[in-house]
Parts: sequence; C-alpha cells; structure tokens
Amino acid sequence: MSARNRELLNLGFAALVASAAFASVSIVGTGLVTTHWLGYVGVIFGLYLVAHVVGRFAVPYADPTLLPIVGLLTAIGLTVIYRLGPEDARRQAVWIAIGIGILCATLFWLRFDYRVLERYKYLFGISAIVLLMLPSIPGLGHRVNGANLWIKVGAMQFQPGELAKIFMIIFLAGYLRDKREALAQGRLKDLGPLLLIWGAAMLVLVQTSDLGSALLNFGIFLAMVYAATGRLVYVGAGIALFLAGSAALYNALDRVQQRVTVWLHPWTDDKVFCAINGKLEYRQNCDSYQLVKSLYSIANGGFGGTGLGKGTFTTVDGVQLIPYLNTDFIYSAIAQEAGLIGAAAVLLLVMVLVARGMRIALIAQDGFSKLLVTGLTFGLALQTFIIVGGVLRVVPLTGITLPFISYGGSSILANFVMLALLLLVSNRATATAVNR
Amino acid sequence: MTTALDTEQTLLVLKIAFLVLLYLFIWAVVRSVTRDLRSVPQESIVLSAKEANELRARYEPVVPTPFARILVLESPTLQPGSTIELREPTRVGRGGENTIRLDGDDFASTRHAMLEPRPDGLWVEDIGSTNGTLVNGARVTTARLLVPGDVVRIGKTDLQVET
Repeated sequence: MSARNRELLNLGFAALVASAAFASVSIVGTGLVTTHWLGYVGVIFGLYLVAHVVGRFAVPYADPTLLPIVGLLTAIGLTVIYRLGPEDARRQAVWIAIGIGILCATLFWLRFDYRVLERYKYLFGISAIVLLMLPSIPGLGHRVNGANLWIKVGAMQFQPGELAKIFMIIFLAGYLRDKREALAQGRLKDLGPLLLIWGAAMLVLVQTSDLGSALLNFGIFLAMVYAATGRLVYVGAGIALFLAGSAALYNALDRVQQRVTVWLHPWTDDKVFCAINGKLEYRQNCDSYQLVKSLYSIANGGFGGTGLGKGTFTTVDGVQLIPYLNTDFIYSAIAQEAGLIGAAAVLLLVMVLVARGMRIALIAQDGFSKLLVTGLTFGLALQTFIIVGGVLRVVPLTGITLPFISYGGSSILANFVMLALLLLVSNRATATAVNR
Repeated sequence: MTTALDTEQTLLVLKIAFLVLLYLFIWAVVRSVTRDLRSVPQESIVLSAKEANELRARYEPVVPTPFARILVLESPTLQPGSTIELREPTRVGRGGENTIRLDGDDFASTRHAMLEPRPDGLWVEDIGSTNGTLVNGARVTTARLLVPGDVVRIGKTDLQVET
C-alpha cells in the first residue's frame, strides 16, 4: 500500500476515534442522543482530507502517520474546548481551517525544494529576534497574566513567540550546518555565538518574564548544537549557563520566584500574605489556586475518567474553577474526563509523532534537513514536557500551549507550519531512498 | 426516564469506545510504519563502522591489518634512531591531539600530515600545513604512496620508511 493510501486509512480511523469523543460531549451537552455532532467531525476531517489531497500531489512519499496523528490531536483538543465553551470551539475551528490552509500553501510553495529556506537563514534569524522583541514595544505589546508575550493590533491579538520559534529553528539549522566543523573542534573563540544566544535568551526572559519560552527556545538551541557537533560538553555548559543565569535573575524577577514557591509549596497551613487582594490568605486560595484546583481536577478523573463531557469544571453557580483551562491547563481537563488511560494515550500520540520526527531526521540526507527536523521535533517534545510537567507539578508551571491541543490561534498556525516542514523533509528523504 | 437511562448507557459505551479506539489507533499507526520499515531496504548509512566491519568479516577472508614501521632520522622532539609502528591512520603535528606529537618542532604545523598504512603500503598526505610535507625533498601535493627508504620531512623532523 502506498504511503498516501495508508495516510488516508489512518485519517479515517482518527475520524472514527474523534466521532466517539464528539458524540459523548454532544450527548451530555444536549441530554439527547442525537447525530448533529456528525457535522463537526465532518467539517474538521473534511479539512484534513483537503490537506491529504494536496499532500498526494505535493509530498507523495511523506510519512503517513504525521497528518492522522495531528488530526486526532486537534480533534481531541477541539472536543475539550467545545465542551468548555462552544464559542471558543467555533473560533478554534476557524483557526484550524486557516492552519490547514497555511499547511497546504506551504506544501505547494516548497514542493520542489524546501532547502531554498537555507538561503534566507539570516533573514529568518533577524525576523525571529524582531518577533520576540515586538511585545516589548510600548503601545503594541499587551500584557496577559503577568507575561509580556502578546501584541495587539486593533481587535487582533497575536503571540509572535510561537512563529519566532520556527524561524529560529530554520536559522539555526542553516547556521549550524555552516559552522558545525568549527564548533566541533571546540576552540574558545567559536563559543562566541553560543554565549550570544545565551545572552539573548536571558534578555528575552527579563523582557517577557516568561521562563517557559526562554527554557523552550534555549533547550531547542542546545539540542540542535548537540545534533550538529555531537559534543555533550556544549549541552553541559549550556545548562550550567542557563541555571546560573536563572539563579542570578531569580531574585530580580518576582514572577519567577512566585512560580517556584507555588511549585514547591502549593498548600500552606497558615495564612500568608496574598499579593492578589492584599490580604492574608491560605496559599491554595491565592497564588497556587489554579494549580491546586487543576490537581484536584486530575485526581477526580481517576483511571478511566468521568467520560467526555461529564467532568466538573465549574462550581454549582456556574463559575469556572480553573482559569485558563482551555489553553495552559487543557491537559488537566483531558485528564479528568478521559482519565489516566486517556491522558496517557494523548502523551503516547505526541511520543509517536516525536519518534517519527526523529526517524525523518535520521533518514534525511543533508545536514540542513537533519538539523531542521531535529529542532522542530525536539521543540515539540520539550514544549509538551514543560506544560504537562507544569500542570502535574513535576516542574514549575509556565504558561505555554500544549501543541495542537490548546486553544489559541498563534499556536495552531505555528504548529501547522511545523507539520508542513516535517512532511516536506520526510517526502524528500523517502523519495531519494526509493528512487536510488 | 427511559431516555435518561438510554443516555447514560450510550455515554458509558462511548467512554469505553473512545478509550479503546484511541489505543487501537495508536497501535494501527505504529504498525503501519513498522511494516513500512520492513519493505524499504535499509541503507548502509545506519550501520556503524564497527557493525560494518563485523558484517564484512563474516563474508570476506581475513585481511591482515596494514602495518608500517618508520625510523626517526632527525628530530628536535623524537629520539633519533627510534622506530614507530603504525597500524592505523596517524596524524602528525605540533598540536596535543596528534598521535605523533612534535611539540618542540617550531616548523611543524598544529595539524601537519597524515600517515596511513594501507594494504599496498604506507601513504602520506599533507593536511594543510604551513611549511609543507616533503618526500625525498619534493613537496607533497596529494596523498602519495611511499616505498621503503623514502624520507618524509615534517617541519625539522625526518622520518624514514622501513617496511
């Protein structure tokens, strides 16, 4: 069976899984066994069918698992978002449609040779820095929940960091491919760029007071340097530098301090000062309210979950218990309604995606493609780890999105660009292996 | 009442169906690509040098390891009159990472030359030195096969090929 037929088959299977989820949410919502949810599944997988057809034409040899897995992840995300607020789900569906549009456009545009991107590597590098700096410009930047990550133009909000991440990976793939020989020898003068990027990561951390993005971007950078040079000493030095920098900045950044305190001691026996209302409160009712409620939510799911649509996310009065439930905390909603079994399956899906990505990096022929895919795939893995680990209190919580699942346009769009690049590289790698 | 009961039962069925289908999907996806792995011929690129040698050893007669011996005629660092045995590609130069170190020889470059014993004899190649590598007084431009008696000059060091 050809790769594309296999992809079609897998997509059909994904649609079947999503149908069960949509049906369950819809039945709980209306209280009736109806079939009107079929429309939702139809629209979403109709869009993926379009992407599939474009794929048949543009990337005939590409990996057949990527599109179905992404399809299922977005569908699960959409189901949970719909269950939490149908209005948001409608917007998210529009974003997914635009994302698939961008996916198709990218596939079509770069169908002959995506490696033209390498020629513009410095343009991508500069764009990434500009995008990261945009929220700091007064009048354009827009502070949400203490982090300076958004730009606001009219009614449009956009989080430029998501796109900057992909531009940075394209730049690094081109740059490291050029300099890997020099870097691998490990002379001191070649460490300059490493220190420069460490400095930039620290600067962005101070500017945006967002530890998550800084950690994610710096982690991707280290992984790519390691893939390019094969020298663990860079990873060690990089982690040491990052820790040293974070420790030095720890005292200066209240927000980071607060996150670490909440992570280590979410519950207090005595009332402590609460900065939100200026009174004395138990910490579980103040700073760590969100995290603690999320842990209760996960615990409520147990092994098999409450069933999709039947979880408890509001008080009896209809007030939402967990703020930012459909973006940062969507994993805790999934864990309650699908249980440990379902949440583990979601993580497994991401793992399969990452494993396929690493395989694409292995079979790709040239250094640019290898580094590009390694960066994108590692970014996906690290981002999932940071946010799921944060929600589960494994690491301090930082607000970033769960790729393909969380509500949010910028994230969805950037992730579809990433998917397009993975498909393109995998197509080229397999095509050369088959035609040789 | 009956509708309420039906709803509950439907939801239970859907909950189980969703979880089971989810895992079946993962299984199907992983299976579809492992089957893929079997049909596409594996490239030699995935074999490490060690694995490749082991495989080759299984199918090919054992070839003796190439071997060469050189005699130090004159050198600021190495002991004149001593011999060096070569069994694998050996780098010569002033830098610390070379197998044959000439750290007192100011005319040698950090990475100067490669000496490589091959089945047909000892080969020498200049790897970007400043003052060049000379064989019997003539400068080496490409990799070159040496015969016993040839004198290789690297910086102020003279090495003579013995076997």
